[in-house]
Amino acid sequence: MCPPKAAASVCLWASLFVGAAQDSPLRAAGAAQAAMPPRHRSLLGENCQGCHGPEKQKGNFRLDDLPLTITDVASAERWQKVLSAMNSGEMPPDDEKQPDAKAKTDFLDDLANTLVTARRQLSDQHGVIALRRLNRREYQNTIRVLLGVNLDVSELPSDTGGPHFDTVGANLFLTGNQFEQYESLAREALEQAFTAKMAGTSPRKHHVESETLNRIFLKKNKDGLDAMERANNWIKAVDDAVAQPGNASVVADLRQVAPSADALRYHWKKIPGAPSPMEFGFDKTAEVNPATVYLYRDFTEFVRYDQYYLSLPHLEQGAYLTDQTRVGGGNNIAAIQGLPIPPSFPPGEYVVRIRAAATEDAPAERKFLEFGLKGSRGGATPALSTHHITGTIEAPQIIEVPFSFRKENADRGHRNLFIRERGAADGRNDERVKTAHKQNGFGPKVALWIDWIEIEHLSNPEDLPPPGIRALEIPLDDKTTDVPPNQLRPAFANFVREAYRGGNVPQGTLERLTGIYNSRIESGTTHRTAVIHALASVLSSPQFLYCAEPDAAGRHRSLSDLELATRLSYFLLGEPPDSILRELAARGELRQAEVLSAQTDRLLNHARSGQFVRPFLSQWLLLDRLDLFQFSQKLYPQFDDSVKAAARQEVTETFAHLLRSNAPLSDLLRADYALVNALLARYYGLEGVAGDHFRKVALPPDSPRGGLLGMAAIMAMGSNGERTNPVERGAWVLRKLLNEPPPPAPANVPEIARLAGKPLTTRERLHAHQENPQCASCHRKIDPIGFGLENFDATGIWRTTDSYQPVSEGVEPDPLLKITWKIDSSSVFHKGPAFAGYFEMRDLIATKRRNFAKGFCSALIEYALGRPCGFSDEGLVESVVEHCEKKGFATREFLHALIQSKEFRSK
Amino acid sequence: MNHSLNRRHFLRSSTALIALPFLGSLGFRRFASASSGGEQVPRPKRLIFLGFGWGVTQDSWHPKIEQAGMDYTLPAGLEPLARHRADFSVVQGLLNKYNSNGHYGSTFWLTGANEFGQAGQSFHNTVSADQVAGEHLGKGARYDSLVLDCGAAAAASGHGQGLSLSWDIRGKPISGPKNPVEAFHRLFAKDTTPLEQQKAMLAQRRSVLDNALENARDLQRTLSKTDNAKLDEYFQGIRDIENRLSRDEKWLGVPQPEAPLKEPKSELAGYEEIRLMYAIMAAALQTDSTRVLTYRQPVSTLLTSLDIRIDAHTMSHYLGKGPEYLEASEKRDKAQSALLAELLDQLKAIQEPDGSCLLDHTTVAFGSNIRTSHSLDNCPTLLAGRGAGIKMGANIVVPKDTPLCNAWLTLMQGSGVPVERHGDSTGVLKQLLA
Repeated sequence: MCPPKAAASVCLWASLFVGAAQDSPLRAAGAAQAAMPPRHRSLLGENCQGCHGPEKQKGNFRLDDLPLTITDVASAERWQKVLSAMNSGEMPPDDEKQPDAKAKTDFLDDLANTLVTARRQLSDQHGVIALRRLNRREYQNTIRVLLGVNLDVSELPSDTGGPHFDTVGANLFLTGNQFEQYESLAREALEQAFTAKMAGTSPRKHHVESETLNRIFLKKNKDGLDAMERANNWIKAVDDAVAQPGNASVVADLRQVAPSADALRYHWKKIPGAPSPMEFGFDKTAEVNPATVYLYRDFTEFVRYDQYYLSLPHLEQGAYLTDQTRVGGGNNIAAIQGLPIPPSFPPGEYVVRIRAAATEDAPAERKFLEFGLKGSRGGATPALSTHHITGTIEAPQIIEVPFSFRKENADRGHRNLFIRERGAADGRNDERVKTAHKQNGFGPKVALWIDWIEIEHLSNPEDLPPPGIRALEIPLDDKTTDVPPNQLRPAFANFVREAYRGGNVPQGTLERLTGIYNSRIESGTTHRTAVIHALASVLSSPQFLYCAEPDAAGRHRSLSDLELATRLSYFLLGEPPDSILRELAARGELRQAEVLSAQTDRLLNHARSGQFVRPFLSQWLLLDRLDLFQFSQKLYPQFDDSVKAAARQEVTETFAHLLRSNAPLSDLLRADYALVNALLARYYGLEGVAGDHFRKVALPPDSPRGGLLGMAAIMAMGSNGERTNPVERGAWVLRKLLNEPPPPAPANVPEIARLAGKPLTTRERLHAHQENPQCASCHRKIDPIGFGLENFDATGIWRTTDSYQPVSEGVEPDPLLKITWKIDSSSVFHKGPAFAGYFEMRDLIATKRRNFAKGFCSALIEYALGRPCGFSDEGLVESVVEHCEKKGFATREFLHALIQSKEFRSK
Repeated sequence: MNHSLNRRHFLRSSTALIALPFLGSLGFRRFASASSGGEQVPRPKRLIFLGFGWGVTQDSWHPKIEQAGMDYTLPAGLEPLARHRADFSVVQGLLNKYNSNGHYGSTFWLTGANEFGQAGQSFHNTVSADQVAGEHLGKGARYDSLVLDCGAAAAASGHGQGLSLSWDIRGKPISGPKNPVEAFHRLFAKDTTPLEQQKAMLAQRRSVLDNALENARDLQRTLSKTDNAKLDEYFQGIRDIENRLSRDEKWLGVPQPEAPLKEPKSELAGYEEIRLMYAIMAAALQTDSTRVLTYRQPVSTLLTSLDIRIDAHTMSHYLGKGPEYLEASEKRDKAQSALLAELLDQLKAIQEPDGSCLLDHTTVAFGSNIRTSHSLDNCPTLLAGRGAGIKMGANIVVPKDTPLCNAWLTLMQGSGVPVERHGDSTGVLKQLLA
């Protein structure tokens, strides 16, 4: 549904963007020049031109005729050479006159930035959008929409990780290899879709009452008790023989080598009358080495643990989650092993339900349950999701988790779902068991209780079968041998239209498809296989793989309604246009501003709008960095996989909230609220949040949370998993929040090595950056911001002190070398105001709303249009930002304004 | 041996290699029943390029500059290669002058291209040396070249943009098997289909490609020039497959070679993964399945497998950091050298029909565009093997900032590839020649 407010402002956009789209003077004026400020001539003159000037041209390099304004690749190259030589310290040579440090710093600062500007200008595509291939995730979504199959596409190139968004056509390559991968993926998808169609919609559900699992526990316990009794009986029997007066001299001799009672029994064979352990039901091993018998006597913790477990209430209706343990307790089986997916269940979309409760005395931090699919890594497999257990045994809750069962998991025999207490897979079970055992004599108490688990095959009532299959009104089974052309052709035609997102079926296509079909039938394949081969060729054709916007003349032109539908749908949902968009396009109505606006709202409110929010945000904010390194579980046990996933989700949930409620984008710079779920709220120390869904929570005034800087994920990215990385954080803030990106890390700057391993504070260490101009030219902007964020540790937790312990491999760290200091987060922005600490710095950054909006808008343009946002887009950026500024930077306005712009609506 | 004469001889015969009957004379015969012995044709030249992203520990990997020549002290980072000392050289002073991206260890390593060289494009690259070489050396083998990669691990391994070390003639990235299992299957998967059926399948394959081309032509007619330049990748992709099919057709009835090693398990990552990939590469040469190989090695997962918990990029900046970073970096060097040493062992152990060993006809280039952290000059370059007539056993110091492409040019010409220049090359490096 479209909010009335949005529709009302449409006319304004129409005039603002559609009208203003011709090269307005504003745009022409907006284009920055890549020019070195003339004052730097003096540095070149005094320090360089003696060797690289009119008289001498050492190294065949001359500077006096180098233009200050860079307009072509050749002069950019020459300036690059200057920058590289000065950065590496090669020039000016050590024995020549050196420029003043400050002048050199400014020179390098300006030159690096001028070159960035020049590169951007020289690579400007002037609005030309290169033919765009579906990127990997769009391809996956498209197949899912078309055929209802969730393919594993990991063999395709990820299309991410480059300097641009994964939507930028120029960077989306296609190779012969890839073509073959598309072919085989298409066949696989069609196979699965046909199979699903044949299997029909019969409901499938598998339900396990977990109390049935307690029987195994009971048996283990009985066996354990029995063995303990037998062990003690044997020991007593041997001791009786030892006590026989007639054996006194034998025993005395044996005691020479085996003084203790336990050791003596090892020699039971030599003691007349001592029975074999085998007479007590132990095996041959025990006869040879009675240590086995002692095991049953000594390791009685498991018995106690089982007794504890079996004495728990509510075992007649359910079972408790226990650790699977080896050391000192537990019977080495978990009470609840998981849920095997029955062999008859095909790959597809499922829902898993778990009826669960927390015990009365379960501590708050243990009320989290992890769910997942046991893969090749067994018990250590990362969870798919984590759930807050708020139910009680009297009133349990039912957790519902959507679960996508992929073919490769079914094939690999990874059919076992697991549920476990959060942290059960952190590798510290033995430690926990030992500690608990010392305290209570039996082991860790249980915290979570499970009534039942079930898995149900989902059938999608509104959209079944999927459009690609619906289009085929021909038999899809293996028995049919041949289908006449008059049935085949319309089926193929319908399928092609669906696959081509409503586009025309090019002439000759159907002939070629029936040709492939016939040749397969002739060579003896089944009808079904022949159809699959024919349709796979549709799904590996360029019309399917590329979003083509034909125009042989190569002019800028308005998009057709259908092209607009496609662009809009891939932008906001990452999938092909649905029937509503296509019908509007067919009627020629989509191009109407108010219709387009209403559709924009509909897609932004769509259940799958996460397909825009997640890929856009993770690429824009570089969230992939979170996966670059392992977070030390020793230093940060609380920042486990579950919290990390929740922290990442906070970023996307917050943005989704801004979109949903049309709140100001600048809330990302500072807000008096945060979007958290129970797990994250606990991590942040926020009270009163229960459950798994993210909701808006008001923050206390002194909270460092609220806005991107207060998010654990953002701060954790600026670390290496152990220590904070103030440079990474500072550069990120400049790039993403202040829209003043520092130039890319320059090559060949000598690193400062002399401080390595010295016991210094972070500040002292980074201070070295100010010593030489090559470093200072960038770091004077970066480092102060990093200092302002030092109160967040490597996992985004607030701290007031930090320490450094020099370490060396294989050597015990020397505690005397360890230094600890109180964090000082005050600093001064380069050429800007001072701040006393994090809060002041955050508030200063929050005043730069316009900068932030411009950076966001440029990212949005690149993502939406599939081309880098160049200098020729300055006008578009400016007009969108200006429009949104008037609306208080309401987040949705950016989307509307961009979608209504001429650029979005033209090729 | 008269080097130039041999090369001419080889080049002349290589033109005839396209026709099948001659195949037997060039090494393929050892898989057929019996070798006739007394072969006069020189052994084909092979090239291997191994790229390791984030560079090396500069002070303990490179031999001392002042110790140029044969009498240099083997640095700690190369210590595991000591037993091969006579069979490799380190070249110092090389540079890809256009690369200014301190995170691109592989993007331009074999191309020497200027990322910003084309106005109106945000990224530009040119053909890589292996592809140039493969075009000439690979004709008699089943594959012109084999391009291997480490898949998802590449992203954090300092390689930069690309899908492998290799870039095609239009400067587009080339992809290939991304783990040992895929590589093994590409080389040694058994096709048990009867010959007639294989022929029929090839014909079917052709019809699918024809259909794809028709579809592309339908689209081509409607597109602008810029869009067609992009669609050209699709055409090229199809043409590449067609070329492969033509090659397959010639090889119909010739069974895939017996794999000299067992089918790998899929879970390997890092050290064991590289080791296995090397074994597969040796097997690929042994069976003459290809003569030119590239491998973009994992660094991030290598560290994990060595139980190093520091991420690879941070490690490459060990200079400003604590000793644990330096130790990690040195450990990485030693592991990479140890793996290379094993590969050289294998290449030495494989006998050629004329009694020589495979390494006598092979050159292994082992390096990265990144030296250490963001430094791109004196990029680490180790050349092993006698396939290209390169001087072995030496610490070869060339003038500072000599184009890296000069080394590639020297390698290629030495291996009989008739090229005059490559990338930004200015000429052959005489210092490299034996």
